[in-house]
Amino acid sequence: MFLRILDRLEEILIASLIAAATLVIFAAVVQRYALGVPFLYQLVYHINLTWAQELCVYMFVWMAKFGAAYGVRTGIHVGVDVAVNMLEPGPRKKVVLFGLLCGALFTFVVGTMGAKFVIELYPTDQVSPDMEMPRWIIFLCVPLGSYLMCFRFLQVAWAFWRTGELPHHDPGHVEGVVESPAAARDVAR
Amino acid sequence: MNSAIIFGLLIALMLTGMPISIALGLTVLSFLFVMTSVPIEAVALKLFTGIESFEIMAVPFFILAGNFLTHGGVARRMIAFASSMIGHWYGGLGLAAVVACALFAAISGSSPATVVAIGSILLPAMVKHGYPKRFGAGVIATSGALGILIPPSIVMVLVAVATGGSVALDPEGKRVLSASVAQLFMAGVLPGLILATMLGMTTFYRAWKNNYPRMPKASWLEAVRAFRDSVWGLLLIFIVLGGIYTGAFTPTEAAAMSAVYAFVVAVFVYRDMKLTDVPKVLLASANMSAMILYIITNAVLFSFLMTSEQIPQAMTAWIKDSGIGWVEFLLVVNVLLLLAGNVMEPSSIVLITAPILFPIAVSLGINPIHLGILMTVNMEVGLCHPPVGLNLYVASGIARMGITELTIATWPWLVTMLIFLAMVTYIPEMSLWLPRVLGML
Repeated sequence: MFLRILDRLEEILIASLIAAATLVIFAAVVQRYALGVPFLYQLVYHINLTWAQELCVYMFVWMAKFGAAYGVRTGIHVGVDVAVNMLEPGPRKKVVLFGLLCGALFTFVVGTMGAKFVIELYPTDQVSPDMEMPRWIIFLCVPLGSYLMCFRFLQVAWAFWRTGELPHHDPGHVEGVVESPAAARDVAR
Repeated sequence: MNSAIIFGLLIALMLTGMPISIALGLTVLSFLFVMTSVPIEAVALKLFTGIESFEIMAVPFFILAGNFLTHGGVARRMIAFASSMIGHWYGGLGLAAVVACALFAAISGSSPATVVAIGSILLPAMVKHGYPKRFGAGVIATSGALGILIPPSIVMVLVAVATGGSVALDPEGKRVLSASVAQLFMAGVLPGLILATMLGMTTFYRAWKNNYPRMPKASWLEAVRAFRDSVWGLLLIFIVLGGIYTGAFTPTEAAAMSAVYAFVVAVFVYRDMKLTDVPKVLLASANMSAMILYIITNAVLFSFLMTSEQIPQAMTAWIKDSGIGWVEFLLVVNVLLLLAGNVMEPSSIVLITAPILFPIAVSLGINPIHLGILMTVNMEVGLCHPPVGLNLYVASGIARMGITELTIATWPWLVTMLIFLAMVTYIPEMSLWLPRVLGML
């Protein structure tokens, strides 16, 4: 139950961040050009969007950290699997587990470094240049995202240990091509 | 010595099949921990600030734009447009496949998705018309890779990101700036058109020799209608290129505008997608972008280690002393990148190799734009050459053919691509002419 909520939150967070970042930059560009149009100028001149780029960057940094954790669950982080797949099933299982645990180790180390970094930043009053947001809030995504990613690696490793299955991402998935026989008839006429 | 340890460790970790991003990060951490006294805090800061740049954010925006238009409906419109233009020539459907692949791949930004979208629609149609299945599978597996070279291209953004800010000196000792996204996009246009034409010529020749069927010539009305249907998708390319060239947008802004435009076209103009499908597209795009951004973070860390160990400088000095010229150097680069293309996906290869190759290439007098285009073309060929090209795998899935049979099927086009690669390598003007004419050099 808790896991389901966590999964959902993760998905909602990253999907909203990419949508919001797109809208922010779109709004900033539209506003910049609206300033050049006399009758729109009155409407938009008091809106200040100079912080848009900075906000966009930070939203994407957050999206990257949590999306990387989500990516472990969907199996999108690919590696070089040629050599591993040539091994016998027994050794292969060990090597794959080793890889997953290395992932957990690395993300744990990064998460801990991030946590230390945030704790050191917290008492300072460093703020970001445009939005003047406290820097420690911005960097909070590093420990949170990395620990979540570490948890995902352990989850995947546990599932692999028990069932021998890894999450798999299909790079060639395209919506709307299932009805290809009909489409083929259209082209063939 | 240190460079041998670093690369040995990286390769050993990568061979276990762990994600490339993790292998990069772990190499850096363990090397610094064991071998040096570089404060870990300096590295930690890189981990947090590595992707804090507005330029990099073009990547998620372009992925989002591409995903909105990666749909069977868009593929069908591109196919209809292409076959109404050139379907009545020899090998008409094959030529249409080349053009449709080029257009769809440029818009969607994904080679494997192009192979699936165009292939699963066109391949049954070609078989029905009496083309051998091998012919169709060969055309589509190779043409699907065209999109990397035709802007907007994520690989080119990554080349610019990976080399941006690094110091490189030309043979006279003057500092040379790395290629920008805008320069690379413009430079890719001409080689992209040339490669599409060459693949088309190979298709035409094979079809003419074997007397494959032609389509009835489309009437003017049909052609106009097909053009009107496809033009909304194609405009995306012109918004990006035109916006960047006229200076209306920065590349990242152009990417964001194209994402909004793609959303409007997919949901309100083409209506392939319902508003309720949008969250799914957002999530898939966030997933893909986060993966690439995560590789970038760790690649930044890795190139920080390279720089602090002076490895690119040492390699540059070594190559200069050994008297190797740019001709031999680029030959080695091509072989190296093609080999890497067998085992890794394009974004990782570019992010790892570009920071090393860039200073060496510049010191031999190679233009950074030329190097960028050459790397991009290598990524393209790497996707379709055996034994492990991703396009081959995807195509073998939709054509239900084995990899070996498909490899035989693709060889005429693969040889064409290799000839093209040699041309791009040794005729720098192919990449430099258009940016120079546009005054961007």
